[in-house]
Amino acid sequence: MNKFKFLLITFSLLALGLTVVNAQDADSLMKTLNSNVMPAPVEAVFKATRVVLSHSSETQKKHDLDLRIRHHFGDIGGKFGSAHTLYGLDVASDLFIGLDYGVTDDFTVAVGRSKQDELYNFSGKYKLLRQKSKGGMPVNLTVFAQMGWIAREPFSESEFAQYSDRFSYFLQGIISRKISSRLSLEVTPGYLLRQNPSDPEDPNNLFVLGFAGRMKLTRRLSFIADYTLVNGLSRPADLVTDYYNPLGVGLEIETGGHIFSLNFMNSEYIVENNFISNTKKSWNKGGVRFGFTISRNFTLFKSKNKDPDKQSKIY
Amino acid sequence: MTWTKKIIRGCCLLGLVLFFADAAAQSFVSKNIRIGMFSSTPLEDIKAVSDQGTGVIVAKTREVVVQLAVKTLEFDRKLMQEHFNENYIESDKYPLAKFKGVLDQSVDLTKDGDYNANVTGVLSLHGVDKQRTIPCRISVRGGVVRVESQFKVACVDHKIDIPRLVFAKIAESISVKLNGQFNQVK
Repeated sequence: MNKFKFLLITFSLLALGLTVVNAQDADSLMKTLNSNVMPAPVEAVFKATRVVLSHSSETQKKHDLDLRIRHHFGDIGGKFGSAHTLYGLDVASDLFIGLDYGVTDDFTVAVGRSKQDELYNFSGKYKLLRQKSKGGMPVNLTVFAQMGWIAREPFSESEFAQYSDRFSYFLQGIISRKISSRLSLEVTPGYLLRQNPSDPEDPNNLFVLGFAGRMKLTRRLSFIADYTLVNGLSRPADLVTDYYNPLGVGLEIETGGHIFSLNFMNSEYIVENNFISNTKKSWNKGGVRFGFTISRNFTLFKSKNKDPDKQSKIY
Repeated sequence: MTWTKKIIRGCCLLGLVLFFADAAAQSFVSKNIRIGMFSSTPLEDIKAVSDQGTGVIVAKTREVVVQLAVKTLEFDRKLMQEHFNENYIESDKYPLAKFKGVLDQSVDLTKDGDYNANVTGVLSLHGVDKQRTIPCRISVRGGVVRVESQFKVACVDHKIDIPRLVFAKIAESISVKLNGQFNQVK
């Protein structure tokens, strides 16, 4: 009796097991098929090539040209602000027009021109490492190099004694990580080489350390912020001129091809070669100002892919 | 006691052998199904394609499963691809598009022939499941099963919203084309 019972139970268990396995069959085959998925690069760490003031780790897509127009208004408060200047809106402390072009998906060249110092900037930006999902590379590493050329007339005889004094160079490493689909953070150590600082005690070359982040609020709207440490690193603390560390916050709105960025920051200037060394306004003393960027992407060349299933067409 | 054990062992072994032989003879898989999408409006035609769809057909149960990691869809324009992933399909949150259904007729996948069949099941996309009956064409040639299918996916069915600003450029209903070659599991 005991043996018979045991046998019966075993058989029923076996039968049951078989049906369960059979029912899962398609799913288990599917699982085996998809078991060795390769780590994929993480896309869209930031929406744009800039955060507020500083560069993000993003580069332009291949053959895409980005036209950027940026505006920094005057002080909202303090001596130069208030209702007399409509809280700074009467003043243009700096204007910038620039073009960023993606030579490849990883390499972008750019040119721009600022109102401040009539500064022309030429830059290259290269994505060295890309963050990957599923235990791959944990961070993105982008390197950025920019040359600035001051085109304005000298203010005094002694300024720009040598023509090379008009040039400045900025080198930066951008290490970023998309922590979640909403939050991306970056650290940006950089080095600025320049001539003729306006404060004679200020060193020619400055080591800086920047921090920036993006928090997506909705699919198309993000909160962005960045802060650059200049004081307290290689700059002496007892300068005659008061310099401040640039801090910017803002909202970034993306509408498929356009990016609008609305910001508040204490820095008067737009390009690194200017704002790192010369931010003389403070958030505490009404020196904060409104600024915005309009960015528009153009696809310059039609892709040469012959795959008819991929060819998009604009009528 | 020993003879009982022997019988049980025998049964288990027989069952397993039968099961595996059975499953192997009846299942077809593919790791490179070509899946394309096509949005057409008077302003713009947008196409994207991936060759990395995976699929399973179990002849005995008539089950059909097809799956695609939506990030593998490639667009002509990379920025458009980024917007597709970030703003529309939200591939970080919903990485897979999947269809799981049952064939409405039994198809002998071991013999050469052509069949027009319907598959009824659930299409999961953008985190929304939708009951669908999708037509397909199955052709068997020398043990290789080719499946072709074409159907439409309405964005609104899967809660993919298109902002008014780009409404004229993106179709309300996206055509999906599928073409795969399934091989028997050995």
